[in-house]
Amino acid sequence: MVYITSWDDFVEKSVQLFRADPEKTRYGMKYRHCDGKLVLKVTDDRECIKFKTDQAQDAKKMEKLNNIFFTLMARGPEGNIVSRDYFTNQLIYPMQMSPFIYLFLVNRDV
Amino acid sequence: MVRLQQDPFLNELTNMFERTTDKGSVWVTLKHSSDKSKVQRNKMKTYGEKIEYKCLVRATDGKKTISTVME
Repeated sequence: MVYITSWDDFVEKSVQLFRADPEKTRYGMKYRHCDGKLVLKVTDDRECIKFKTDQAQDAKKMEKLNNIFFTLMARGPEGNIVSRDYFTNQLIYPMQMSPFIYLFLVNRDV
Repeated sequence: MVRLQQDPFLNELTNMFERTTDKGSVWVTLKHSSDKSKVQRNKMKTYGEKIEYKCLVRATDGKKTISTVME
């Protein structure tokens, strides 16, 4: 299991993995509120990359990655995610995933 | 594994997060899937039919698993 420290590297490598093998690649998240830890994992059953954090600020980044994957996985590997301007808030969320943000921000002892 | 519509899925997912505040984990997995078996997919390929893919979302708290499909 390779833990990647740079968020941008993690995002780039996970999109790469998905585009190379959309049938096998899956994106998993594990959240433990009691420890305040979130671990993201992207694997195609051959290679595996992970990202872990306990920072509330990473919740926003995770939300963006979620949306990237929703688009890619629903539309296919040719799904155009760049034109959706994912660095601003002008993204139309395909599905309200607000529970994630809610649970991160509530009771986080920062 | 319970397959739900999007809104009930989100409700149940919220409940899972609420239940595991003091103890426990929640796993959420996303996968590019056609929601068809290997046999069906191979048949569709040989007939030249286009396979439609969706995004399969699964969530579990270690005890119960729920899932939904997004287009």
